[in-house]
Amino acid sequence: MRIIGVYNIKGGVGKTAAAVNLAYLSAEAGYRTLVWDLDPQGAASYYFRIKPRVKGGGRKMIKGKRDLDELIKGSDFDNLDLLPADFSYRNMDLMLGETKGPVKQLLKLMRPLSMEYDRIFLDCPPSISLVSENIFRAADALMVPTIPTTLSLRTYEQLVEFLDGHKVMDVKRMPFFSMLDRRKKMHLEMLEDLPKAYPEMLKTPIPYASDVERMGFHRAPLGSFAPRSPAGLAYAELWKELEAGLAA
Amino acid sequence: MTGHLRQFQLGDTETIEEVLTALTSRFPIATELEKTFRHLFFDSFDWRLYQAGMQLDEVSGRDLHHLVLRNLADDSPYETARLEGEVARFARDYPPGLLRERITEPLQMRTLLPIVEVRSRVVCLKLLDREEKTVLRLQLEENRAKPHGRAEYLPMTHLLRLLPVRGYDKYLDQVSRFLSDKVGLLPQSQPLIALSLASIGRQPMDYSSKLDFILHPEMSTDAVARVIFTTLLDTIEQNLPGTRGDLDSEFLHDLRVAVRRTRSALTQIKGVFSEAITNEYKERFAWIGQITGPTRDLDVYLLGFDEYRKSLPEQFQADLEPLHDFLVSHQKSEQQALVRKINSPHFHTLLKSWRTFLNSPSEPGSEGDHAQKPISKVARKRIYRTFRLVLEEGLAIHPHSQPEELHELRKSCKKLRYLLEFFQSLYPKEEIRPLIKTLKSLLDNLGDYQDLEVQADKLREFAHQMVEEGEVPADTLLAMGMLVDGLLKRQQEARVAFADRFACFADPAPVESYNKLFGPGKKSPKSAGAKS
Repeated sequence: MRIIGVYNIKGGVGKTAAAVNLAYLSAEAGYRTLVWDLDPQGAASYYFRIKPRVKGGGRKMIKGKRDLDELIKGSDFDNLDLLPADFSYRNMDLMLGETKGPVKQLLKLMRPLSMEYDRIFLDCPPSISLVSENIFRAADALMVPTIPTTLSLRTYEQLVEFLDGHKVMDVKRMPFFSMLDRRKKMHLEMLEDLPKAYPEMLKTPIPYASDVERMGFHRAPLGSFAPRSPAGLAYAELWKELEAGLAA
Repeated sequence: MTGHLRQFQLGDTETIEEVLTALTSRFPIATELEKTFRHLFFDSFDWRLYQAGMQLDEVSGRDLHHLVLRNLADDSPYETARLEGEVARFARDYPPGLLRERITEPLQMRTLLPIVEVRSRVVCLKLLDREEKTVLRLQLEENRAKPHGRAEYLPMTHLLRLLPVRGYDKYLDQVSRFLSDKVGLLPQSQPLIALSLASIGRQPMDYSSKLDFILHPEMSTDAVARVIFTTLLDTIEQNLPGTRGDLDSEFLHDLRVAVRRTRSALTQIKGVFSEAITNEYKERFAWIGQITGPTRDLDVYLLGFDEYRKSLPEQFQADLEPLHDFLVSHQKSEQQALVRKINSPHFHTLLKSWRTFLNSPSEPGSEGDHAQKPISKVARKRIYRTFRLVLEEGLAIHPHSQPEELHELRKSCKKLRYLLEFFQSLYPKEEIRPLIKTLKSLLDNLGDYQDLEVQADKLREFAHQMVEEGEVPADTLLAMGMLVDGLLKRQQEARVAFADRFACFADPAPVESYNKLFGPGKKSPKSAGAKS
């Protein structure tokens, strides 16, 4: 089982779209895949038409009093399941703080799923918190969607500092360009410069595309309704890079 | 989700339409495209996967070619693998992974054979909730089946299968209840493989090499003997095609066991047929034993080769490779010789005349003295006498006994085992099973003691033969020497273990059981409290 966190300190960078689309591609390739929607806004759950609600509430689950196994919902696609969001997740920091090993609690909860799933994608809420630290410590890879702007660069630098400062060494950093607009000069410049400073940057940029926005209308992953669209093809390439990175 | 299978049986095409209408008028249901699949089910000749609660299903459709290992109870897949070419026949030919792990233990050395083919026209439906999320999948399946390799499909049960979506069980219950209560459909708990077999006139587990006669104490010995011999002859014939094709080693093995049992029964069930007939067939079946022996011997070495290799220190393991080549090439030529013999008119006539004899009513004069006696009496006497013989021979063995004495004891034990197995249905299961088990464990020990020595001798013979046939590396001969040494050591261990194994057999409790079940003065075994 490999755990992939999709995370950025900043919101609105294409995080949920990446988690949902990559998970879909992973399931399509035959991996038994789970998406855990950790964001209280429940956007990933919405894309899968699943109610953003955890039976019995989030607190019991986070404290380990309910097996994750019982709370999982099947999506409309083979090999792809979802652990829905819950509005109580907005207090997840507090809930995690009440557990014995607050920074490794999410990993502990996911361990029993290792026989059942080959890949778990975590759709993470923005900001740096106890939740994100849990994600850093649980994940094998951290996908960081990054809009090619100076501000995004700064947030990626903050993340790197945090990881180094907290000695989080076991997670593979995989930043990638998200919402790329080739008409914007700054985007093109960053596309050129950023990989020099951060060689871990993945090669495939995800373009800014109306197809991605249409996911909200279709309420389904891009691969299921527009696999050959530019964004659809870009996610497929990105997924290959992710898999190659996990295998390395 | 595991549990029992949620499927319903449908009648003719008219009902499919009716069911569709009933469902769509009651539930928000979307129809997906119609698809056609071909299922080809595989198992070993003796149903090892089925016995282990599994079914192996090669599924082909448009853009789809999968091998699915499923749970027999609820059809849920254990493992799914994409297939490039054909289905691999032996567990060892599968790439390392969970599928291989699951089939290796039950299948062992047996080959997978295509058994039954099903063509399914499937209409997929999905039940949607308010968010238009799929919360239950339904499959209407129009199925036809045929034995693999035949052209004509035969009609079979049409099914409506409910495939739950994880986390939405309440919809499964709702629709199930609607289908059984309102539409009046009958649940069908049999998996697809069993239903398709039924439609081609077969049933799962229709072959087993195990003896399972159902006898009644009052049956005449003649009638019982005919049942036993006919079943054994069936087994011989069922294994002929697989033996000819050398599909795997066990066809020949089962054939040989059936021949050996036939010969033993001819000796053991005395006085049923005339002496002339008994002697004639004893001799003729001994011939089959002889002509099949060399191939079986080589099969045994090949089956055990991995163990041989592993028994050597790692740096010498590769030295055994020329021995493997030698075994493979000799097995091939012995197998060809064997096929020529079992295709001969001589072989054919033997089986044919034996069946004719078994089917013909016994004529006065052609039968022996015991033919009309009830089997209960004859079986009891034979078993008891053989048991006393085993006991006597075994008790006479001491640490310095000659190997021949143990070999004799092994022969007697085998006779006793066959008798117990032939006649087990005459006695209470819970009493006879432990006796067979203890006897088997003793026989295993005696078998090891004798066979390990035979194997060691044979390996030395092979070494000489390899030298005669051409260049053989000195390292190979040395490695074979190490094997011989290992075999002889194990043989000595078996000799040491004999005393304990025999003590279990000669323990007061089993002896008491033998006396109680078969001892003099016992009239009818079923009166001892047997369940019918």
